[in-house]
Amino acid sequence: MDTGLHDAFYNMALDEAIAVARSRSLVPDTLRFFRWEPSAVSIGYFQGMDEEVDTNACDKRGIGYVRRRTGGGAVYHDRDGELTYSMFLIQSHRLVSADFQESYGTLCSGIVNGLRLLGVQAEFKPINDIVVGGRKVSGNAQTRGLNVVHQHGTILLKVDPMLMFAVLKVPNEKIRDKMIKSVEERVTSLRAVLGRDVGFDELKSALLRGFEASFGIRLAPGVLTEFEAQKAEELKAEKYSRREWNYRR
Amino acid sequence: MGKAQIKVEGGKLVKVQLESEGDRIREVRITGDFFLHPEEMIDDLEKTLKGSKLDEDALADCVKAFIKKHEAVLLGVAPGDFAKCIVMAGESSG
Repeated sequence: MDTGLHDAFYNMALDEAIAVARSRSLVPDTLRFFRWEPSAVSIGYFQGMDEEVDTNACDKRGIGYVRRRTGGGAVYHDRDGELTYSMFLIQSHRLVSADFQESYGTLCSGIVNGLRLLGVQAEFKPINDIVVGGRKVSGNAQTRGLNVVHQHGTILLKVDPMLMFAVLKVPNEKIRDKMIKSVEERVTSLRAVLGRDVGFDELKSALLRGFEASFGIRLAPGVLTEFEAQKAEELKAEKYSRREWNYRR
Repeated sequence: MGKAQIKVEGGKLVKVQLESEGDRIREVRITGDFFLHPEEMIDDLEKTLKGSKLDEDALADCVKAFIKKHEAVLLGVAPGDFAKCIVMAGESSG
């Protein structure tokens, strides 16, 4: 399913809501696509908000910020430059291994496959990245709980390192330019690889086919259940929009 | 307060903020872009480390024992990286 454009708090709340719904067998294994409006920064579970994010710059620009339920690094989710996905599998699913590293490889293979259908020579790079010619085009993160494996990740359609570093903290101003350069060397996007703009619909349909082929499954369109929608609002209000959560580290 | 960070080769980043009392940990905060499962174990780990001696081998053993006891999984960093970073933070605070 595609849940469209939402703010950072809701997006992360809905991820947890779907995981809860899956754990209670209220919904089947699920693949969700979504985007961020306004653009936002998400930080990993173990990161410090003030260590990673220039929240003043975010506030000035109307950019959101939120802590994820997964580990990993800080990510700038541009409204128009990035597609995010989440997948939810019951832990006993044949695609899930007890070994996290192995599961990353298996679950990311759907994305790798989808990107190859677009003509992008993508490869999985442990621990949790997908790269093209050594440059990262997708970052992924997994969590497990309540007997559900939840993996979410991003695919970059276009990238603006200057904006990225306008909202992420840099150790000091002197190295800002250097860091922007280093991101230009380490990160790429579908636009940079293919030399053309890839639309969201085109990317989603390639990814769907990639997942189906890699996993040997058939995906069916779905909509949010009332439980998920309600749980998401509840988790947004009581967790993801709260300072206690976002600034807990 | 002492601070240190380590980028693990081929792995993730660990940052430590430390308040020490003599050669012991009073408070420690471990942040970074690593993975620990289940995630909420990080709070227990930090509590467990309180009062420990700032000795790299002993701290690494403590983290290892914690992970084993709780059947936790650490990805992108090793217990020894936490230990090393904590000791570095201790040294940075003088």
